[in-house]
Amino acid sequence: MDNCAIVTGGSRGIGRAVVDRLLSDGFDVVTCGRGARPVGLPDAVVWVTADVSKTGDAAMLIEKANAAFGRIALLVNNAGVQVEKTVADSGDDDWDLVMNVNCKGVFNMCRAALPDMAAHGGNIINIGSISGMVADPSMALYNASKAFVHGLTRSIAVDHGPKVRCNAIRPGWIMTEMAEDGFALAGDPQRAMADALARHPVGRFGQPEDIANLVSWLASDQSTYVSGECFTVDGGMTAASPLNPGLF
Amino acid sequence: MKLQGKTALVTGGRGGIGRAIVARFLREGATVYAADLTPQGSLAEHDDDGSRFVAMNVADEAAVKAAMQQVDAEDGKLDILVNAAGIEIEKTIEDTSLEEWNQSFAVNVTGTFLTSKHALPLMRKAAAGGASASLINFGSYDGFIADPGLAAYCATKGAVHALTRAMACDHGPEGIRVNAICPGYIDTPMLQSFFTGDGSGGGGQSIDQLQQAVRDVHPMRTYGTPEDIANLVNWLASDEARYASGQLWVLDGGLSAQVQQMKL
Repeated sequence: MDNCAIVTGGSRGIGRAVVDRLLSDGFDVVTCGRGARPVGLPDAVVWVTADVSKTGDAAMLIEKANAAFGRIALLVNNAGVQVEKTVADSGDDDWDLVMNVNCKGVFNMCRAALPDMAAHGGNIINIGSISGMVADPSMALYNASKAFVHGLTRSIAVDHGPKVRCNAIRPGWIMTEMAEDGFALAGDPQRAMADALARHPVGRFGQPEDIANLVSWLASDQSTYVSGECFTVDGGMTAASPLNPGLF
Repeated sequence: MKLQGKTALVTGGRGGIGRAIVARFLREGATVYAADLTPQGSLAEHDDDGSRFVAMNVADEAAVKAAMQQVDAEDGKLDILVNAAGIEIEKTIEDTSLEEWNQSFAVNVTGTFLTSKHALPLMRKAAAGGASASLINFGSYDGFIADPGLAAYCATKGAVHALTRAMACDHGPEGIRVNAICPGYIDTPMLQSFFTGDGSGGGGQSIDQLQQAVRDVHPMRTYGTPEDIANLVNWLASDEARYASGQLWVLDGGLSAQVQQMKL
Protein backbone atom coordinates (compact mmCIF):
# COMPACT_ATOMS: atom_id res chain seq x y z
CA MET A 1 0.00 0.00 0.00
CA ASP A 2 1.20 3.46 -0.91
CA ASN A 3 1.37 5.26 2.36
CA CYS A 4 3.90 8.00 1.95
CA ALA A 5 2.89 11.56 2.79
CA ILE A 6 5.03 14.63 2.12
CA VAL A 7 4.29 17.69 4.25
CA THR A 8 6.23 20.81 3.29
CA GLY A 9 7.18 23.21 6.06
CA GLY A 10 6.69 20.70 8.87
CA SER A 11 9.11 22.12 11.41
CA ARG A 12 6.54 24.12 13.40
CA GLY A 13 3.02 25.54 13.49
CA ILE A 14 0.34 24.03 11.30
CA GLY A 15 2.84 21.92 9.37
CA ARG A 16 4.15 20.27 12.50
CA ALA A 17 0.60 19.46 13.72
CA VAL A 18 -0.14 17.92 10.31
CA VAL A 19 3.04 15.84 10.50
CA ASP A 20 2.08 14.53 13.94
CA ARG A 21 -1.50 13.76 12.91
CA LEU A 22 -0.60 11.95 9.68
CA LEU A 23 1.96 9.92 11.60
CA SER A 24 -0.68 8.82 14.09
CA ASP A 25 -3.05 8.09 11.18
CA GLY A 26 -0.50 5.57 9.90
CA PHE A 27 1.24 7.51 7.13
CA ASP A 28 4.97 7.32 6.46
CA VAL A 29 5.80 11.00 6.71
CA VAL A 30 8.51 13.04 5.01
CA THR A 31 8.77 16.72 5.82
CA CYS A 32 11.09 19.54 4.90
CA GLY A 33 12.22 23.03 5.66
CA ARG A 34 15.06 25.35 4.84
CA GLY A 35 16.92 24.70 8.09
CA ALA A 36 18.33 21.70 9.90
CA ARG A 37 16.16 18.91 11.34
CA PRO A 38 14.12 20.48 14.16
CA VAL A 39 14.66 19.23 17.69
CA GLY A 40 11.82 17.01 18.86
CA LEU A 41 10.62 15.85 15.45
CA PRO A 42 9.55 12.19 15.93
CA ASP A 43 12.25 9.71 14.86
CA ALA A 44 9.89 8.03 12.39
CA VAL A 45 9.63 11.23 10.35
CA VAL A 46 12.16 11.71 7.55
CA TRP A 47 13.50 15.26 7.46
CA VAL A 48 14.89 16.76 4.26
CA THR A 49 16.53 20.17 4.23
CA ALA A 50 14.98 21.71 1.14
CA ASP A 51 13.65 25.00 -0.20
CA VAL A 52 10.43 24.30 -2.13
CA SER A 53 10.89 27.50 -4.12
CA LYS A 54 13.84 25.81 -5.86
CA THR A 55 12.80 23.49 -8.65
CA GLY A 56 15.75 21.18 -8.03
CA ASP A 57 14.95 20.89 -4.32
CA ALA A 58 11.34 19.90 -5.07
CA ALA A 59 12.50 17.08 -7.35
CA MET A 60 15.10 16.03 -4.78
CA LEU A 61 12.44 15.93 -2.05
CA ILE A 62 10.25 13.61 -4.14
CA GLU A 63 13.26 11.35 -4.85
CA LYS A 64 14.19 11.12 -1.18
CA ALA A 65 10.60 10.36 -0.21
CA ASN A 66 10.39 7.66 -2.89
CA ALA A 67 13.65 6.17 -1.66
CA ALA A 68 12.49 6.13 1.95
CA PHE A 69 8.86 5.02 1.59
CA GLY A 70 7.97 4.33 -2.07
CA ARG A 71 5.24 5.97 -4.08
CA ILE A 72 3.76 9.22 -2.74
CA ALA A 73 0.08 8.92 -1.82
CA LEU A 74 -0.36 12.35 -0.30
CA LEU A 75 1.23 15.76 -0.74
CA VAL A 76 0.42 18.52 1.76
CA ASN A 77 1.71 21.89 0.57
CA ASN A 78 1.95 23.82 3.80
CA ALA A 79 5.20 25.78 3.51
CA GLY A 80 4.55 29.49 3.38
CA VAL A 81 5.95 32.87 4.33
CA GLN A 82 4.36 36.23 4.92
CA VAL A 83 5.63 39.75 4.45
CA GLU A 84 3.66 42.35 6.36
CA LYS A 85 3.54 45.25 3.90
CA THR A 86 1.21 47.09 1.56
CA VAL A 87 1.87 47.11 -2.20
CA ALA A 88 3.36 50.60 -1.93
CA ASP A 89 5.91 49.43 0.64
CA SER A 90 6.78 46.09 -0.96
CA GLY A 91 10.08 45.78 -2.78
CA ASP A 92 11.27 43.35 -5.41
CA ASP A 93 12.85 41.22 -2.68
CA ASP A 94 9.50 40.95 -0.89
CA TRP A 95 7.80 39.93 -4.12
CA ASP A 96 10.44 37.31 -4.86
CA LEU A 97 10.28 35.83 -1.36
CA VAL A 98 6.49 35.56 -1.09
CA MET A 99 5.84 34.47 -4.65
CA ASN A 100 8.75 32.03 -4.76
CA VAL A 101 7.73 30.19 -1.60
CA ASN A 102 3.94 30.50 -1.53
CA CYS A 103 3.23 30.23 -5.25
CA LYS A 104 6.19 28.73 -7.04
CA GLY A 105 6.81 26.36 -4.14
CA VAL A 106 3.31 24.86 -4.39
CA PHE A 107 3.65 24.73 -8.18
CA ASN A 108 7.06 23.07 -7.94
CA MET A 109 5.87 20.39 -5.56
CA CYS A 110 2.70 19.62 -7.50
CA ARG A 111 4.60 19.50 -10.78
CA ALA A 112 7.15 17.11 -9.32
CA ALA A 113 4.53 14.83 -7.74
CA LEU A 114 1.86 14.84 -10.47
CA PRO A 115 3.30 12.54 -13.14
CA ASP A 116 3.33 9.57 -10.78
CA MET A 117 0.04 10.57 -9.13
CA ALA A 118 -1.67 10.97 -12.52
CA ALA A 119 -0.63 7.42 -13.40
CA HIS A 120 -1.29 5.71 -10.09
CA GLY A 121 -3.60 8.00 -8.13
CA GLY A 122 -2.83 10.56 -5.50
CA ASN A 123 -4.10 13.25 -3.23
CA ILE A 124 -2.93 16.86 -2.84
CA ILE A 125 -3.94 19.19 -0.02
CA ASN A 126 -2.85 22.80 -0.25
CA ILE A 127 -2.88 25.20 2.68
CA GLY A 128 -4.46 28.41 1.42
CA SER A 129 -5.84 31.09 3.70
CA ILE A 130 -8.95 33.14 4.40
CA SER A 131 -6.65 35.99 3.35
CA GLY A 132 -6.95 34.73 -0.21
CA MET A 133 -10.68 35.51 -0.01
CA VAL A 134 -10.82 38.63 2.11
CA ALA A 135 -7.83 40.90 2.59
CA ASP A 136 -5.84 41.26 5.78
CA PRO A 137 -4.48 44.80 5.97
CA SER A 138 -0.79 45.27 5.14
CA MET A 139 -0.44 41.72 3.83
CA ALA A 140 -0.87 42.48 0.14
CA LEU A 141 1.52 39.97 -1.40
CA TYR A 142 0.60 37.23 1.07
CA ASN A 143 -3.12 37.73 0.37
CA ALA A 144 -2.51 37.55 -3.37
CA SER A 145 -0.28 34.50 -3.07
CA LYS A 146 -3.01 32.57 -1.25
CA ALA A 147 -5.56 33.43 -3.95
CA PHE A 148 -3.09 31.81 -6.35
CA VAL A 149 -3.11 28.65 -4.21
CA HIS A 150 -6.91 28.49 -4.34
CA GLY A 151 -6.94 28.90 -8.13
CA LEU A 152 -4.21 26.31 -8.64
CA THR A 153 -6.14 23.88 -6.41
CA ARG A 154 -9.19 24.04 -8.67
CA SER A 155 -7.06 23.71 -11.80
CA ILE A 156 -5.30 20.58 -10.57
CA ALA A 157 -8.63 19.01 -9.56
CA VAL A 158 -10.10 19.73 -12.99
CA ASP A 159 -7.03 18.77 -15.05
CA HIS A 160 -5.87 15.71 -13.12
CA GLY A 161 -9.10 14.17 -11.82
CA PRO A 162 -10.27 11.48 -11.50
CA LYS A 163 -6.89 9.94 -10.60
CA VAL A 164 -5.83 12.88 -8.47
CA ARG A 165 -7.91 14.70 -5.90
CA CYS A 166 -6.83 18.20 -4.95
CA ASN A 167 -8.32 20.42 -2.25
CA ALA A 168 -7.28 23.42 -0.19
CA ILE A 169 -7.86 24.36 3.42
CA ARG A 170 -8.24 28.03 4.26
CA PRO A 171 -7.27 28.51 7.89
CA GLY A 172 -8.34 31.61 9.74
CA TRP A 173 -6.47 32.91 12.79
CA ILE A 174 -4.48 29.92 13.98
CA MET A 175 -2.25 30.66 16.92
CA THR A 176 1.18 30.08 15.46
CA GLU A 177 4.28 32.21 15.53
CA MET A 178 3.15 33.61 12.17
CA ALA A 179 -0.16 34.80 13.67
CA GLU A 180 1.57 36.29 16.68
CA ASP A 181 3.78 38.27 14.29
CA GLY A 182 0.59 39.56 12.68
CA PHE A 183 -0.80 40.81 15.99
CA ALA A 184 2.53 42.42 16.81
CA LEU A 185 1.88 44.75 13.86
CA ALA A 186 -1.03 46.39 15.68
CA GLY A 187 -0.64 49.66 17.54
CA ASP A 188 -2.03 47.96 20.66
CA PRO A 189 -1.47 44.21 20.25
CA GLN A 190 -3.52 43.29 23.36
CA ARG A 191 -6.53 45.27 22.20
CA ALA A 192 -6.14 43.90 18.67
CA MET A 193 -6.17 40.37 20.04
CA ALA A 194 -9.30 41.00 22.14
CA ASP A 195 -10.98 42.58 19.14
CA ALA A 196 -10.08 39.67 16.89
CA LEU A 197 -11.32 37.18 19.47
CA ALA A 198 -14.69 38.94 19.62
CA ARG A 199 -15.10 38.29 15.91
CA HIS A 200 -14.93 34.51 16.33
CA PRO A 201 -18.36 32.89 16.81
CA VAL A 202 -16.76 29.84 18.43
CA GLY A 203 -15.10 32.09 20.99
CA ARG A 204 -11.45 31.21 20.54
CA PHE A 205 -8.58 31.32 18.07
CA GLY A 206 -7.68 28.19 16.20
CA GLN A 207 -5.00 25.70 17.10
CA PRO A 208 -2.78 23.95 14.54
CA GLU A 209 -4.57 20.70 15.46
CA ASP A 210 -7.88 22.17 14.19
CA ILE A 211 -6.34 22.29 10.72
CA ALA A 212 -4.67 18.90 11.09
CA ASN A 213 -8.11 17.43 11.86
CA LEU A 214 -9.38 18.46 8.43
CA VAL A 215 -6.14 17.40 6.69
CA SER A 216 -6.67 13.99 8.26
CA TRP A 217 -10.22 13.78 6.91
CA LEU A 218 -9.24 15.00 3.44
CA ALA A 219 -6.42 12.44 3.44
CA SER A 220 -8.79 9.61 4.35
CA ASP A 221 -11.15 7.36 2.40
CA GLN A 222 -13.98 9.43 3.89
CA SER A 223 -13.46 12.16 1.31
CA THR A 224 -13.13 10.28 -2.01
CA TYR A 225 -15.83 12.47 -3.60
CA VAL A 226 -14.26 15.71 -2.46
CA SER A 227 -12.12 17.52 -5.03
CA GLY A 228 -11.54 21.06 -6.25
CA GLU A 229 -12.75 22.59 -3.00
CA CYS A 230 -11.33 25.24 -0.72
CA PHE A 231 -12.66 24.64 2.79
CA THR A 232 -12.50 27.34 5.44
CA VAL A 233 -11.75 26.49 9.08
CA ASP A 234 -11.80 29.77 10.95
CA GLY A 235 -14.13 29.42 13.92
CA GLY A 236 -16.84 31.25 11.97
CA MET A 237 -14.89 34.49 11.59
CA THR A 238 -15.48 35.08 7.87
CA ALA A 239 -19.15 34.11 8.16
CA ALA A 240 -19.64 37.32 10.12
CA SER A 241 -19.63 40.79 8.66
CA PRO A 242 -16.43 42.73 9.41
CA LEU A 243 -18.73 45.23 11.17
CA ASN A 244 -19.99 42.60 13.59
CA PRO A 245 -22.07 44.72 15.99
CA GLY A 246 -21.03 42.54 18.93
CA LEU A 247 -17.80 44.52 18.86
CA PHE A 248 -19.31 47.86 19.76
CA MET B 1 -17.35 5.54 17.26
CA LYS B 2 -16.95 9.29 16.98
CA LEU B 3 -20.45 10.14 18.24
CA GLN B 4 -20.71 7.93 21.30
CA GLY B 5 -23.05 9.48 23.87
CA LYS B 6 -24.40 12.09 21.46
CA THR B 7 -28.05 12.54 20.51
CA ALA B 8 -28.90 13.51 16.93
CA LEU B 9 -32.04 14.42 15.03
CA VAL B 10 -32.08 14.22 11.21
CA THR B 11 -34.99 15.76 9.29
CA GLY B 12 -35.74 14.06 6.01
CA GLY B 13 -34.23 11.13 7.87
CA ARG B 14 -35.93 8.54 5.68
CA GLY B 15 -35.02 10.21 2.39
CA GLY B 16 -32.09 9.47 0.08
CA ILE B 17 -29.35 11.44 1.84
CA GLY B 18 -31.07 11.41 5.26
CA ARG B 19 -31.04 7.62 5.48
CA ALA B 20 -27.30 7.49 4.85
CA ILE B 21 -26.73 10.08 7.59
CA VAL B 22 -28.93 8.19 10.05
CA ALA B 23 -27.15 4.91 9.29
CA ARG B 24 -23.75 6.54 9.73
CA PHE B 25 -24.68 8.24 13.02
CA LEU B 26 -25.95 4.91 14.37
CA ARG B 27 -22.67 3.20 13.42
CA GLU B 28 -20.78 5.98 15.20
CA GLY B 29 -22.66 5.27 18.42
CA ALA B 30 -25.19 8.13 18.51
CA THR B 31 -28.82 7.96 19.58
CA VAL B 32 -30.64 8.98 16.42
CA TYR B 33 -34.09 10.39 15.73
CA ALA B 34 -35.15 10.13 12.08
CA ALA B 35 -37.82 12.74 11.38
CA ASP B 36 -39.83 12.47 8.18
CA LEU B 37 -43.38 12.69 6.87
CA THR B 38 -43.75 8.90 6.83
CA PRO B 39 -41.57 5.96 7.90
CA GLN B 40 -40.84 5.35 4.21
CA GLY B 41 -39.86 8.93 3.41
CA SER B 42 -39.08 9.45 -0.27
CA LEU B 43 -38.11 5.80 -0.83
CA ALA B 44 -40.45 2.93 -1.57
CA GLU B 45 -39.29 0.63 1.17
CA HIS B 46 -38.72 1.03 4.88
CA ASP B 47 -36.01 -0.83 6.72
CA ASP B 48 -35.96 -0.86 10.49
CA ASP B 49 -32.62 0.91 10.82
CA GLY B 50 -32.49 1.22 14.59
CA SER B 51 -33.34 4.91 14.64
CA ARG B 52 -36.30 6.37 16.52
CA PHE B 53 -38.83 7.50 13.92
CA VAL B 54 -40.61 10.81 14.50
CA ALA B 55 -43.50 11.72 12.21
CA MET B 56 -42.89 15.40 11.50
CA ASN B 57 -43.62 17.93 8.79
CA VAL B 58 -40.81 20.48 9.21
CA ALA B 59 -43.14 23.27 8.05
CA ASP B 60 -45.66 22.52 10.84
CA GLU B 61 -44.55 24.33 13.99
CA ALA B 62 -46.75 22.25 16.30
CA ALA B 63 -45.25 19.03 14.92
CA VAL B 64 -41.71 20.38 15.29
CA LYS B 65 -42.38 21.44 18.89
CA ALA B 66 -43.85 18.03 19.70
CA ALA B 67 -40.78 16.29 18.26
CA MET B 68 -38.42 18.42 20.35
CA GLN B 69 -40.53 17.75 23.46
CA GLN B 70 -40.12 14.04 22.76
CA VAL B 71 -36.34 14.40 22.47
CA ASP B 72 -36.28 16.47 25.66
CA ALA B 73 -38.33 13.88 27.56
CA GLU B 74 -36.25 10.94 26.35
CA ASP B 75 -32.72 12.38 26.19
CA GLY B 76 -32.85 15.85 27.74
CA LYS B 77 -30.48 17.36 25.14
CA LEU B 78 -29.66 17.44 21.44
CA ASP B 79 -25.99 17.45 20.35
CA ILE B 80 -26.58 17.29 16.61
CA LEU B 81 -29.31 18.62 14.34
CA VAL B 82 -29.23 17.88 10.62
CA ASN B 83 -31.77 19.78 8.51
CA ALA B 84 -31.83 17.45 5.51
CA ALA B 85 -35.53 17.67 4.61
CA GLY B 86 -36.02 19.37 1.27
CA ILE B 87 -38.10 19.43 -1.87
CA GLU B 88 -37.37 20.47 -5.42
CA ILE B 89 -39.79 22.04 -7.90
CA GLU B 90 -38.39 21.64 -11.41
CA LYS B 91 -39.64 24.78 -13.12
CA THR B 92 -38.67 28.28 -14.21
CA ILE B 93 -40.30 31.09 -12.22
CA GLU B 94 -42.76 31.72 -15.01
CA ASP B 95 -44.08 28.18 -14.76
CA THR B 96 -43.93 28.08 -10.94
CA SER B 97 -47.27 28.74 -9.24
CA LEU B 98 -47.39 30.83 -6.09
CA GLU B 99 -48.46 27.70 -4.22
CA GLU B 100 -45.38 25.79 -5.46
CA TRP B 101 -43.13 28.73 -4.59
CA ASN B 102 -44.59 28.95 -1.09
CA GLN B 103 -44.31 25.20 -0.63
CA SER B 104 -40.61 25.27 -1.62
CA PHE B 105 -39.89 27.96 0.94
CA ALA B 106 -42.11 26.28 3.56
CA VAL B 107 -40.07 23.07 3.52
CA ASN B 108 -36.56 24.21 2.59
CA VAL B 109 -36.34 27.54 4.43
CA THR B 110 -39.17 27.76 6.99
CA GLY B 111 -38.57 24.09 7.87
CA THR B 112 -34.89 24.80 8.55
CA PHE B 113 -35.89 27.86 10.57
CA LEU B 114 -38.57 26.11 12.67
CA THR B 115 -36.56 22.98 13.38
CA SER B 116 -33.48 25.01 14.32
CA LYS B 117 -35.49 27.47 16.44
CA HIS B 118 -37.06 24.77 18.56
CA ALA B 119 -33.91 22.62 18.71
CA LEU B 120 -31.73 25.46 20.03
CA PRO B 121 -32.73 25.18 23.70
CA LEU B 122 -31.88 21.46 23.62
CA MET B 123 -28.62 22.14 21.78
CA ARG B 124 -27.66 24.72 24.40
CA LYS B 125 -28.12 22.03 27.03
CA ALA B 126 -25.82 19.71 25.08
CA ALA B 127 -23.20 22.46 24.70
CA ALA B 128 -23.32 23.19 28.42
CA GLY B 129 -21.34 19.98 28.88
CA GLY B 130 -18.27 21.56 27.26
CA ALA B 131 -18.19 19.94 23.81
CA SER B 132 -19.83 22.04 21.12
CA ALA B 133 -23.19 21.15 19.63
CA SER B 134 -23.33 20.94 15.84
CA LEU B 135 -26.15 22.16 13.60
CA ILE B 136 -25.84 21.14 9.95
CA ASN B 137 -28.08 22.64 7.28
CA PHE B 138 -28.51 21.45 3.73
CA GLY B 139 -27.71 24.09 1.15
CA SER B 140 -26.78 23.12 -2.37
CA TYR B 141 -24.24 24.01 -5.01
CA ASP B 142 -27.39 25.38 -6.68
CA GLY B 143 -27.31 28.11 -4.04
CA PHE B 144 -24.16 29.42 -5.76
CA ILE B 145 -24.70 28.63 -9.44
CA ALA B 146 -28.00 27.74 -11.07
CA ASP B 147 -29.20 24.62 -12.82
CA PRO B 148 -31.81 25.39 -15.47
CA GLY B 149 -35.45 25.04 -14.52
CA LEU B 150 -34.90 24.97 -10.76
CA ALA B 151 -35.57 28.61 -9.90
CA ALA B 152 -37.45 28.24 -6.60
CA TYR B 153 -35.07 25.51 -5.43
CA CYS B 154 -32.00 27.66 -6.17
CA ALA B 155 -33.55 30.59 -4.30
CA THR B 156 -34.37 28.50 -1.22
CA LYS B 157 -30.83 27.14 -1.04
CA GLY B 158 -29.37 30.64 -1.26
CA ALA B 159 -31.58 31.53 1.70
CA VAL B 160 -30.32 28.52 3.65
CA HIS B 161 -26.72 29.61 3.02
CA ALA B 162 -27.34 33.09 4.42
CA LEU B 163 -29.30 31.67 7.36
CA THR B 164 -26.38 29.35 8.11
CA ARG B 165 -23.95 32.25 8.44
CA ALA B 166 -26.42 34.25 10.53
CA MET B 167 -27.02 31.38 12.93
CA ALA B 168 -23.27 30.74 13.24
CA CYS B 169 -22.80 34.36 14.33
CA ASP B 170 -25.71 34.36 16.75
CA HIS B 171 -25.25 30.99 18.41
CA GLY B 172 -21.49 30.41 18.25
CA PRO B 173 -21.03 32.12 21.62
CA GLU B 174 -23.48 29.57 23.08
CA GLY B 175 -21.28 26.70 21.95
CA ILE B 176 -23.31 25.81 18.88
CA ARG B 177 -21.48 25.42 15.58
CA VAL B 178 -23.53 25.97 12.43
CA ASN B 179 -22.48 24.81 8.97
CA ALA B 180 -24.17 23.92 5.70
CA ILE B 181 -23.34 21.14 3.31
CA CYS B 182 -23.86 22.06 -0.34
CA PRO B 183 -24.12 18.86 -2.39
CA GLY B 184 -23.83 18.67 -6.14
CA TYR B 185 -25.27 15.73 -8.05
CA ILE B 186 -25.95 12.95 -5.54
CA ASP B 187 -27.64 9.71 -6.55
CA THR B 188 -30.97 10.03 -4.71
CA PRO B 189 -34.66 9.77 -5.59
CA MET B 190 -34.59 13.57 -6.00
CA LEU B 191 -31.86 13.33 -8.64
CA GLN B 192 -33.59 10.52 -10.50
CA SER B 193 -36.74 12.63 -10.49
CA PHE B 194 -34.70 15.48 -11.99
CA PHE B 195 -33.49 13.24 -14.81
CA THR B 196 -36.93 11.92 -15.64
CA GLY B 197 -38.85 15.12 -14.93
CA ASP B 198 -39.53 18.28 -16.86
CA GLY B 199 -36.37 19.91 -15.51
CA SER B 200 -33.95 17.65 -17.37
CA GLY B 201 -34.20 19.30 -20.78
CA GLY B 202 -33.28 15.85 -22.08
CA GLY B 203 -33.10 16.79 -25.78
CA GLY B 204 -34.09 13.33 -26.94
CA GLN B 205 -31.27 11.54 -25.11
CA SER B 206 -32.02 8.42 -23.13
CA ILE B 207 -31.87 8.68 -19.36
CA ASP B 208 -28.71 6.55 -19.40
CA GLN B 209 -27.03 8.84 -21.95
CA LEU B 210 -28.06 11.85 -19.91
CA GLN B 211 -26.67 10.36 -16.71
CA GLN B 212 -23.37 9.47 -18.40
CA ALA B 213 -23.11 13.00 -19.79
CA VAL B 214 -23.56 14.36 -16.29
CA ARG B 215 -20.94 12.01 -14.87
CA ASP B 216 -18.47 12.97 -17.58
CA VAL B 217 -18.64 16.66 -16.79
CA HIS B 218 -17.44 16.01 -13.23
CA PRO B 219 -13.68 16.08 -12.59
CA MET B 220 -14.19 12.90 -10.55
CA ARG B 221 -16.15 11.43 -13.52
CA THR B 222 -19.00 10.27 -11.32
CA TYR B 223 -21.66 11.76 -9.19
CA GLY B 224 -21.79 11.30 -5.49
CA THR B 225 -23.55 8.86 -3.22
CA PRO B 226 -25.52 9.63 -0.07
CA GLU B 227 -22.64 8.00 1.83
CA ASP B 228 -20.23 10.63 0.46
CA ILE B 229 -22.44 13.26 2.06
CA ALA B 230 -22.78 11.29 5.29
CA ASN B 231 -18.96 11.15 5.52
CA LEU B 232 -18.76 14.95 5.77
CA VAL B 233 -21.85 15.26 7.98
CA ASN B 234 -20.22 12.81 10.36
CA TRP B 235 -17.01 14.84 10.49
CA LEU B 236 -18.83 18.14 11.01
CA ALA B 237 -20.96 16.54 13.74
CA SER B 238 -17.91 15.21 15.55
CA ASP B 239 -15.60 16.99 17.98
CA GLU B 240 -12.86 16.83 15.32
CA ALA B 241 -14.64 19.77 13.65
CA ARG B 242 -14.70 21.85 16.82
CA TYR B 243 -13.24 24.92 15.06
CA ALA B 244 -15.41 24.67 11.94
CA SER B 245 -18.38 27.04 11.92
CA GLY B 246 -20.26 29.39 9.62
CA GLN B 247 -19.10 27.64 6.47
CA LEU B 248 -20.76 26.35 3.33
CA TRP B 249 -19.14 23.02 2.47
CA VAL B 250 -19.49 22.26 -1.23
CA LEU B 251 -19.33 18.54 -1.98
CA ASP B 252 -19.72 18.01 -5.70
CA GLY B 253 -16.80 15.95 -7.04
CA GLY B 254 -15.18 19.14 -8.32
CA LEU B 255 -18.13 20.07 -10.56
CA SER B 256 -18.29 23.73 -9.58
CA ALA B 257 -14.49 24.15 -9.53
CA GLN B 258 -14.55 24.35 -13.32
CA VAL B 259 -16.09 26.74 -15.79
CA GLN B 260 -19.33 25.06 -16.77
CA GLN B 261 -19.46 23.44 -20.18
CA MET B 262 -22.51 21.28 -19.62
CA LYS B 263 -24.66 20.45 -22.63
CA LEU B 264 -27.69 18.64 -21.26
